[in-house]
Amino acid sequence: MKTVNVHARVNMDLCKGCKNCERVCPVYAVKVTRDGKQVRVDINDGLCVGCWNCEQRCPEHAITMVSCEPYTLSTDVTSVDYEQVVELCRKAHFHPKQVVCYCTASRAEELAAAILKGASSPDAVVRATGIGAGCGIECNQPILRFLEAAGKTFERRKKSHQWYGRTATAWEVPEEVRRKYPVFRFEEDLEMFETIVNSPVNR
Amino acid sequence: MPRGTIPPAPPRKSQYGVDPQFVTMRGAELDGMTSVSLGELIPDMPPVIFPSDRGVASIREATEETLARVDLSKIRPGSTVNILASHHGFTFLKGEPYAEMLRTIRDFVETRTEAKEIRLRAGLGMRFRETEEYIKAHGLDRYFNGKAIGVAPIDEGVPIETKIGTLYGLRKMYDADVIIHAHNSDVREVHFHRQVDRAVKPFGMSYARTETRSTYHWNLGPRAANFVARSIFDSDFVQGKYGFSCFMIMSPGGVVTVDADNDLYALNDRVTIGGMKNYGKIITLMGEIDECIVILDFPCPVPYVFAAGVIYANMVGANVDLFDLDNPLPPYTWYTETYYDDRGRPLADFVPPVNPAIRTVVHNYAWTGYPSAFFAEHTPTIVVGQEQAAHFSRDPMNLSYMRYALTANELKAAMDFAYRTTRTDKVLIFDGATGGMNVSFSLAEFLRNRAPAVVRHVDRELMPKWLAQRSIDASLLNLVA
Repeated sequence: MKTVNVHARVNMDLCKGCKNCERVCPVYAVKVTRDGKQVRVDINDGLCVGCWNCEQRCPEHAITMVSCEPYTLSTDVTSVDYEQVVELCRKAHFHPKQVVCYCTASRAEELAAAILKGASSPDAVVRATGIGAGCGIECNQPILRFLEAAGKTFERRKKSHQWYGRTATAWEVPEEVRRKYPVFRFEEDLEMFETIVNSPVNR
Repeated sequence: MPRGTIPPAPPRKSQYGVDPQFVTMRGAELDGMTSVSLGELIPDMPPVIFPSDRGVASIREATEETLARVDLSKIRPGSTVNILASHHGFTFLKGEPYAEMLRTIRDFVETRTEAKEIRLRAGLGMRFRETEEYIKAHGLDRYFNGKAIGVAPIDEGVPIETKIGTLYGLRKMYDADVIIHAHNSDVREVHFHRQVDRAVKPFGMSYARTETRSTYHWNLGPRAANFVARSIFDSDFVQGKYGFSCFMIMSPGGVVTVDADNDLYALNDRVTIGGMKNYGKIITLMGEIDECIVILDFPCPVPYVFAAGVIYANMVGANVDLFDLDNPLPPYTWYTETYYDDRGRPLADFVPPVNPAIRTVVHNYAWTGYPSAFFAEHTPTIVVGQEQAAHFSRDPMNLSYMRYALTANELKAAMDFAYRTTRTDKVLIFDGATGGMNVSFSLAEFLRNRAPAVVRHVDRELMPKWLAQRSIDASLLNLVA
């Protein structure tokens, strides 16, 4: 769950139409169009999750974040069958009660519920939960792991700089790598993950 | 400033912190504060070349001296060269030594090769404009003829095939014929890297895309995660571009020397040993503290504020030996942080608590731009100033920080409350004091009493264990500064 309390605004006197803002938006809320020398930037407040990515990467400092009436992005876990939530979490190798986003402190059960309720792409998950609308960095893989575990496939928008793809997990490290580099304690960390994932779920 | 305290690092104007005008009093100005020097506590701390009377001239000299031993033949006439840097380097000693090392690398490569273009590509963490601020503050944009930029983890990526599958680097880091890895040896995030491949880590972090950083913090485990950087560095893609590495070698007291090598793993061994030797004792000593009030008072996000060259996150985990690889989970890592349920209960019995010696945190001055609610959630926290509290509540990474923290209008009031509720007069200030740390008189005495036994324990028992866990020959110990 995330409370959104800011939206992005563009100063068109400064904007040069480079499209950086469009490329770094995790929910595709920004659209930059050009008609000859005329640049137009449309920011869809209905989609904006207040992550600041566009403001932070604008080379011209043309974007500012302005306060807005706060609203929350969240999915009610009680609105879905909790057994299915647990099943999806375990399939993605997460404990339902563990945090999956450091910035919003959202839990795996909410991410699973959002997908069970129909979120089928990373941007849809972000909009449904606020997960991924904080630092915009670290919860990338949990989102992609959950979508894959739920059998959801999506096409990455080629011009975007978001959602490049899921990467290896502890369960997929090749045997030869585990054997060759014992200092990294692959087996022990995998065992630790298994213990967490299979811990009892106290609601 | 009371007699005996060390001047703290000054506040810095940044979009990630409150305006310095709101930092009206520093922890070191409080009554009852003094300082303890690193030399008093740890007599074998190596001498430093910076800070010194010679200023950054000593950095230039040390950099030129070590670079003279490096093979530059990979840089051919007409080559483009990217010097890869990281934002953390600029947080030491006002950033001057790191900036000078970067300038010197540039000048040396320009003089000794026929490179066509030498650029600075500086990676960053979660504050996407922080490196830009450093580049401007140190005039590096002019020095590199406009070819100095900060590169963020959400910028365009490039796929890199590794032993564990596809990972993603940042295209701007690798858009040259040759890359130079310009970093530092500060132990810093030992809770994450566990002093395993410390020198390699930026390949999986500063120079890497969001997907790769997320792999590190979610997919492999708290120790195994460190393979991410190695797998990228060893890839054909990176090896095809890699020229050499140049490191500012740090100790808690400052810059010890500059060390460069074409062989990153040889340099890594030296960095690993030096880090354990020079930081292991001070971190272990912090773990001896039985109770204290911590004051955060440095221009950096909460976990990165410094005392005696050690970051606050190290103190948060100092109740566990962070160098001991048999400990699976430090009290603070991003793995640990996720293993508490919605009622604050750990999900497994091996999840260690946050250092219980930290009775209260007085947050006098620290920045946003890093998810820090975990710290306020697990330790009573008082934020000084309504402006600072409001600043945190606007930050998308810290929307719930103030849900757990109290607010006081001034530092003295926050400290009065902390003294009364904790009933301890031991105070440890993370304010970037150079050469020692600012503490209360009672804590100074405590540390002086405990230090000799800690030094003996580290030398005789812990160092041999730490080295053996990393298969490092103990005889190398005396060869490393």
